Amino acid sequence: MATTVIGSSIVIDGEISGEEHLVVHGTVKGRINVRDSLVVENGGLVEATVETSSITVNGTVNGDISASERAELRPNSTVVGDIRAPRILIADGASFKGTVDMGG
Amino acid sequence: MATAVSNPSTTMSGNPSTPCNIGPRIAIRGNITGEEDLIIEGRVEGSIALSGHLAVAQAAVIEADLEVDSVDVHGQLDGDIVAVTTITLHEGSRVVGNLRAPRIVITDGAQFKGTVEMDVPLPASVTRQQRR
Repeated sequence: MATTVIGSSIVIDGEISGEEHLVVHGTVKGRINVRDSLVVENGGLVEATVETSSITVNGTVNGDISASERAELRPNSTVVGDIRAPRILIADGASFKGTVDMGG
Repeated sequence: MATAVSNPSTTMSGNPSTPCNIGPRIAIRGNITGEEDLIIEGRVEGSIALSGHLAVAQAAVIEADLEVDSVDVHGQLDGDIVAVTTITLHEGSRVVGNLRAPRIVITDGAQFKGTVEMDVPLPASVTRQQRR
């Protein structure tokens, strides 16, 4: 399965949509809509509305997250926004502010 | 489904030798700016400003103006290209737009429509300084 990697010095201002795994080391502002998983690495900054199947956050996300499978906030991650996912994992050390909706 | 952890590229956070790439099934609408080499295999609409090398793969469709260090085009590009060093249009590429660079290579088999402007060539010492 192909993976799209957005490097640490890349800034994307706009919409990303697609059907691949996405790994963000850099900055994305706008909207992200990927059908496969999204990983925001340490140092990555996402200021966007996110729609994905599963999201793993090691970096920073400012925006609403809607994951159809799971959302995972690792230690050292910072998330400000609402999370909607059927399974949510918030690890010890993660910073989170927002609402959580696991509603089926 | 493979989780992201098993994918080797996630453990090399920001390793400069790993080029970043935008895969074939990704579409980006907006502006891309950066300072690394980038490979685009998907769709991009908007503008790209990169101080690095850009590779446009055969399957890529780009509707954007480019401002890059150098670019290798194998796919489709609709937009102006301004490069600091070289623009190369490879066989199979289809480019509509204006090219501006000190060195321009159009390979047999490339389709191109637009203007070509080669800047006054910079002295070799200056060009080498701009490359990292």
